[in-house]
Amino acid sequence: MIVLEAKGLTKRFGSTVALNHVDLTLEVGDPIALIGPNGAGKTTLLSLVCGFLRSTSGDLTVLGESPGSAALHGRVAALPQDAQLDPRFSVARQLELLARLQGQGKRDARKDVARVLELVQLQQSSEAKPSELSHGMGKRIAIAQLLLGKPEFALLDEPTAGLDPPNVKIIRDLISATAAETTYLISSHNLDELEKVCKTAVFLERGQLKRHMTIDELEDEENSQLTLRMPSVSFDEFREAVAQIPGVVGVDQRQQHDFIVSYDRSPAGVPDIAILQLLKDKNWNYRHLILGKTLEDRLF
Amino acid sequence: MKNAFLIAQFEVTRLLLTRRGLISVLAFALVWFVILRYAIYPASRFVAGNTDNVLLQMVLNQINLNELAGWLVPELSVYWVFALYLLPLFCITLTADQTATDRARGTLRFLHLRATRSQIFLGRFLGQMLVQALFIGVTVLTTFGLALYRDQTLAAAGLEHMLVIIVNLLIVLLPYTALMALMSVFAKSARQAVMFAIILWIATALALRAVAQYFPDLTMLELVLPGSQVSSLLKLRTWETLEFSIIPLVQTAVLLLLGWFAFRRVDL
Repeated sequence: MIVLEAKGLTKRFGSTVALNHVDLTLEVGDPIALIGPNGAGKTTLLSLVCGFLRSTSGDLTVLGESPGSAALHGRVAALPQDAQLDPRFSVARQLELLARLQGQGKRDARKDVARVLELVQLQQSSEAKPSELSHGMGKRIAIAQLLLGKPEFALLDEPTAGLDPPNVKIIRDLISATAAETTYLISSHNLDELEKVCKTAVFLERGQLKRHMTIDELEDEENSQLTLRMPSVSFDEFREAVAQIPGVVGVDQRQQHDFIVSYDRSPAGVPDIAILQLLKDKNWNYRHLILGKTLEDRLF
Repeated sequence: MKNAFLIAQFEVTRLLLTRRGLISVLAFALVWFVILRYAIYPASRFVAGNTDNVLLQMVLNQINLNELAGWLVPELSVYWVFALYLLPLFCITLTADQTATDRARGTLRFLHLRATRSQIFLGRFLGQMLVQALFIGVTVLTTFGLALYRDQTLAAAGLEHMLVIIVNLLIVLLPYTALMALMSVFAKSARQAVMFAIILWIATALALRAVAQYFPDLTMLELVLPGSQVSSLLKLRTWETLEFSIIPLVQTAVLLLLGWFAFRRVDL
């Protein structure tokens, strides 16, 4: 089933083209990452899908309906970037209104509010006003509203921006726990987190769709690369040692402790076992060994 | 429509259950007490005096309100005058922030995922009318209470007058509330919405005056402005007042249509 279909989607703000003839089809399934540099059009795309903005031209359907239409109420949810709840009302009262607008009765709405607050581990904050909560708690409350009524399609715009690691983990675990019933489209600059949660990625740049790819499947060039993080070994020392391994054709330094080993598959296959043996013999510690490249290295 | 009513209901909650709302209620109550005790009460004593009172006749003739002397419940007649002039001013400030602040803050985005733009726009408008109905109800009842305190035999006569007043005041406030619904679509705050309303009002009044000066046949264009029928209403006291209701109802429909059209297009 298709959750989102865009054909020639364009959005202009005056003379600025935020989205330029984007063609994109997304299907129900695992979480999808929406990636791109600042100004790529990610927030614009999410806002168009939610019906907050009107497109300049092109077609866009969400679950087969027009964005913002009544048929999508309760089926599409979102965590808009920078949107805030009313600071004058308690969290529970506002969430209850939102649940009732989705068609729930008063009693069901109260139960659903309790359920989602428990999911985000903020039951004790139900009577607090949004202005009394920390940034992380406020973000979790915003995610709680997204989970009301179990939506089919949920859009998250920078869900972990400005959050400390414990809160990031709570949100990541929440997405993983609910991914079976909800298809997530997550826009974020935190590529490490996206790699842990998402299976596919959509890459936007300057308003255009550049790539739509599966994160787990390796691309052709990556079939002959390994990425290692070696926190306690210098690059020169590592390169000299690894270059001796049969099949290794080159070693590059991505960052201070991130090294990429290029090899020729034909004679001996993937040299990962040989490299691990080398690390053991040299008594070198490693943080991770990845077949291929990280998402960040693939895209940027 | 169910969602529009839910949103309208929430507006009443906003008045009664938030600190800012309660402060507004308190301010209104204090102002109303002062008006009731030091304006309506003494004025109604004056009007309730002997109808052969020459001074009374002179005063009312001067302000073209002879009919006030004929009201069976003078307190309600004085309330009628005060309310027709003061309530629209109160309305403009009370109803200025129907969508402006929530749109600037992003709160409307959470609502829009569960309600259409039409439901939000109409719900907020209805909510403001409900709040004003509450204020009108309380003020009319307290005024009537004052009359009954003086003379309990006025109960029957006063009931119909009360209903006439309540219905007419609500109709008078409809176009002002609709105007603020429209201004709120373009403003980023309540204060900005009030500024827009003042600018639009003065500009329109000046333009209409200029048109009337050069084209006397087009004087009736002044009916475009909300409140244009108030001076005619002052002279009436029963259900014949509803003859003038078509003007504010048409004004309301036009302003709401413009506001609805704009709200459907604005970025949330």
